[in-house]
Amino acid sequence: MLKKNLAIEFCGVKFENPFLLSSSPVGNCYEMCAKALETGWGGVVFKTIGFFIANEVSPRFDNLGKEATPFVGFKNMEQIAEHSLEDNLAAIKRLKKDYPGKVIIASIMGSNEKEWEELSRLVAENGADMIECNFSCPQMTSHAMGSDVGQNPELVKKYCQAVKRGSNLPMLAKMTPNLGTMSVPAIAAMEGGADGIAAINTVKSVTGVDLDQFVGYPIVNGKSSVSGYSGKAVKPIALRFIHEMKCNKQLAKAPISGIGGIETWEDCAEFILLGCQTIQVTTAIMQYGYRIVEDFISGLSHYMEEKGFDNLQDMVGLALNNIIPAEELDRGYIVYPKIDEEECIGCGRCYISCYDGGHQAIVWNEEERKVSVDQEKCVGCHLCANICPVSCISKGEIKFKPNQNHKEGDNIVLSHHNGR
Amino acid sequence: MEDKKLEMDSIFTPLLAIEEAARCLLCHDAPCSKACPAQTDPAKFIRSLRFRNLMGAVETIRENNPLGGICARVCPTEKYCEGACSRCGIDRPIQIAKLQAYLTEYEKTVGMNVLKKVEIDKEKVAIIGGGPAGIVAAAALASKGYDVTVFEKREKCGGWMTYGIPELRLATKVVESEIAMTRNLGVQFVNNCEFGKDETLVSLKGKGFKAILFATGYSEPKTLPMFERSTKVQTAVEFLGQAKQGSIKNIEKDILIIGGGDVAMDVAMTAKGLGSENIKVVAIETLAEFPASKKELEHARSNNISIFDGFKPVNFDGKTVVFESLVDATKIEIEPSKIILAIGQKDGIAKHLSEITKNDKGNIATNEYQTNLEGVFAAGDIIEGDKTVVYAIKTGKEAAIAIDSYLGGRR
Repeated sequence: MLKKNLAIEFCGVKFENPFLLSSSPVGNCYEMCAKALETGWGGVVFKTIGFFIANEVSPRFDNLGKEATPFVGFKNMEQIAEHSLEDNLAAIKRLKKDYPGKVIIASIMGSNEKEWEELSRLVAENGADMIECNFSCPQMTSHAMGSDVGQNPELVKKYCQAVKRGSNLPMLAKMTPNLGTMSVPAIAAMEGGADGIAAINTVKSVTGVDLDQFVGYPIVNGKSSVSGYSGKAVKPIALRFIHEMKCNKQLAKAPISGIGGIETWEDCAEFILLGCQTIQVTTAIMQYGYRIVEDFISGLSHYMEEKGFDNLQDMVGLALNNIIPAEELDRGYIVYPKIDEEECIGCGRCYISCYDGGHQAIVWNEEERKVSVDQEKCVGCHLCANICPVSCISKGEIKFKPNQNHKEGDNIVLSHHNGR
Repeated sequence: MEDKKLEMDSIFTPLLAIEEAARCLLCHDAPCSKACPAQTDPAKFIRSLRFRNLMGAVETIRENNPLGGICARVCPTEKYCEGACSRCGIDRPIQIAKLQAYLTEYEKTVGMNVLKKVEIDKEKVAIIGGGPAGIVAAAALASKGYDVTVFEKREKCGGWMTYGIPELRLATKVVESEIAMTRNLGVQFVNNCEFGKDETLVSLKGKGFKAILFATGYSEPKTLPMFERSTKVQTAVEFLGQAKQGSIKNIEKDILIIGGGDVAMDVAMTAKGLGSENIKVVAIETLAEFPASKKELEHARSNNISIFDGFKPVNFDGKTVVFESLVDATKIEIEPSKIILAIGQKDGIAKHLSEITKNDKGNIATNEYQTNLEGVFAAGDIIEGDKTVVYAIKTGKEAAIAIDSYLGGRR
């Protein structure tokens, strides 16, 4: 098996690869973390510990499906660790002793400055390599903790300072996406002494409503609550927040650990290309197990080989400059869809979508079950190409709009999203 | 050709491959992976495909099996991985063979080169026979640095894969491209070289070969005394060989095939494809215990091949063949213009090895693939009996390990 050097330095700590369990049910005890590390994960963020001991509901999960695909999105109502603080600290200590080459990150959560400082001191004493401050769990039963804190920049800053008083370990602030602009609390965290940012935690959600009992899911004795949403569905939201922070001048140098809907090596690569140096995963592990890291390592290695990257760091942030404000995009041309008649199976899906969701520009030949493009009506939106089940619609002729800066022969780079 | 295309003829599109992979239940301790004699790990390569790691999936197949594309096309997977698939309990198994064929085609399309040549710095090993067992053993030994030469009796390597299995089921270009991978590992091939005539144990040892592996397969067709003198009679081995080389121009209208295995079905479908109109297959086995795979049997039946089961040939006067039922007193008389015997093959090498010990089944006796002769090993059909390509591969791989430990033990 091809295996590239995936090592990376993040907040001054060396990782054998960037793949980490995120702080969650998947890293809840010594045995789980040990199995994950044996399977190939570069490190773990141990499930958040604190003086607060969670008392959980049953059941506590739900998932959103679409057609035959379950787990498009996942809802979780678990809070922080359910084991005692002593047990968790012992587990962290034993993990570091048994896996000295791996990175053990302690996620912590306090309800006041004193607790944050004390937790910081305790995890440092027990051998953690790094600290992650959980400012973002959206389902805490106490409003002095969780995402209510992460939405308050003053508290974030104050608690970061407290953590730094407790120890000098490198420290990440884990952000909540339940706000409009993540940069504000992220800047506050960096001002408070954080060494980097972890984003995103889960999105507050109601995944669905039971149509017989009129209750959201999961149903707990006839009721439900808003709680965190994760999985593939939140990946675009995570990438957007990471882009926002990376493009903020005050945060441009802040290292980021990317989290949110990561299932494949391609997802990992996307987070890295948008500036993340480590990758954290939970939902895909809950669905498929720790083994998914094998294809992260192999798939990313092949990608690096193909692209000529010898070093993971060389990939970091390469896509950042190519996401620009809408007002700066080139609006000077239309590219018409090109239909490959040989490949077309005559299903008519493009015709329906163009009519009902586009500009009525696909002409349907009923007798021969063939389609063509009416350039008078087509605006070049390419909804048809997004719909086509056999991917036979590509980019064709380009028309430059009159009175714009383009002239014929200008080099325009076209490529279709690969359909994932 | 009018026959309904075999499923294997079409390769999945990328979308269909991902969809099929998404049907996989991603079992824990997957039964498919435990069912392959050649140690293919479908659970792993399907999971890689499901997680869009196509190159990793190709590596999983190829590092284990230099003939993975061939296996994907000819393996009776219903008996192995697909038969074991957990999804059988819900609806139908994952089409593992088709996914493997898709991935090995993808490997070709993107020009992957998984099997890497290593420095040849170890002993010379001779392999007699360029069929699946010999090629897999050659690849395994060359990958460990042995200086391997394959001696093949015929013009081309591949054995039954080249001269037996019809083009429709296994295209020559697939066989050639996979043999090329073994050649690229530094294995030398000497073709048109017959053991017993052009080379002997003494001559090979004289040339410095420290270990010799016989993997000559069941090369000789079995016949029945009553058919021996007739010009109407041909063996399946001859017929399929001629058909694959394209040398049959005119085919008889009425053909009788005797035998009930996959080879008999291959003969029937090949004759049909060449234009024969009236094809009858008579087998001694009853349908309940039919040796041909279900897929091949169904394929033949859906192409209007008549199959008579449970009949034994009792007389042939040069014109009419008389069969008697094994179950009752029924007789059938058939007057074909051509008779093709597909009643199995046998070993053709032991006669050149006078001092070799045989077991009670008449096969070459081995212990961990080693024969009673010093430095002489055997693999494939000649030790295991009339088996499949996948079994030949299993024994070829294991024989290579045995040879390595034999030679390594001397260091």
